[in-house]
Amino acid sequence: MEMEIAPVILPATLDALSRLGQYVKDASEKAGLDRQAAYNLRLAVDEIATNIIVHGYEEAGLTGDILVQGKLNDGEITIAVEDSGTPFDPLAKKLPTEEDLARPLEERPIGGLGIYLVLKGVDKFAYERSGNRNRNIFTMKRRLPGNGGN
Amino acid sequence: MPFSAQLAVVDGVAKVTLKGELDASVAGQFKETIEQAAAEKPRRLVLYFNELEFLASAGLRVLIFAKQKMGINVDIYVIGSQGPVLATLEMSGFHHSVYLQDTYGDD
Repeated sequence: MEMEIAPVILPATLDALSRLGQYVKDASEKAGLDRQAAYNLRLAVDEIATNIIVHGYEEAGLTGDILVQGKLNDGEITIAVEDSGTPFDPLAKKLPTEEDLARPLEERPIGGLGIYLVLKGVDKFAYERSGNRNRNIFTMKRRLPGNGGN
Repeated sequence: MPFSAQLAVVDGVAKVTLKGELDASVAGQFKETIEQAAAEKPRRLVLYFNELEFLASAGLRVLIFAKQKMGINVDIYVIGSQGPVLATLEMSGFHHSVYLQDTYGDD
């Protein structure tokens, strides 16, 4: 059975990140995610939303909103984040390698760390561009009693 | 808990106590604290993470900035990091470059 969590529309400003985080925390609680999984999901959404706000809107001289919508079914929770900022496919970004991550801090590349944390933290991540909208979709498996723990 | 970063410099050791949620909206505040710490030319930077509840990559980038600003001879200690925040540090490889400890010697 699928359940939609009431969506929220937030201004695309960094000040909105805490409200966005609260939305994801509430959704994770409804889904029964454990502490680490809930944190990873919140972190992933925070990282992508930060990119949207900074690169998709502010650096492009745009203002706008971010629409956030959670959905639950028996096996998964998904959080979709939509915006009308400039097109940005996180999956096209070059990520740090294991070698980069093992380098001393003073030699580390700065970029790509946020998206690396997104991809490491969630069970599935997808990006879609439809019309003038970006849509980022985060999925976590629900490890509920009775579904085999997977 | 709102984010805060409090600096104390004791015997050449810059100690920064972080509380709350460190995301991109407050990373600038953390960076300013690191700049104040760097101005004191410390021999060591000790960051207390005991009450840090959330750490985004914007906060990790300030750690990289701290190392680059203070120089390779200033070791960074992260104290009291636990749970998901510790997991984030490890996932992003920071455990290779900072000293992760439960407590700091003279506290």
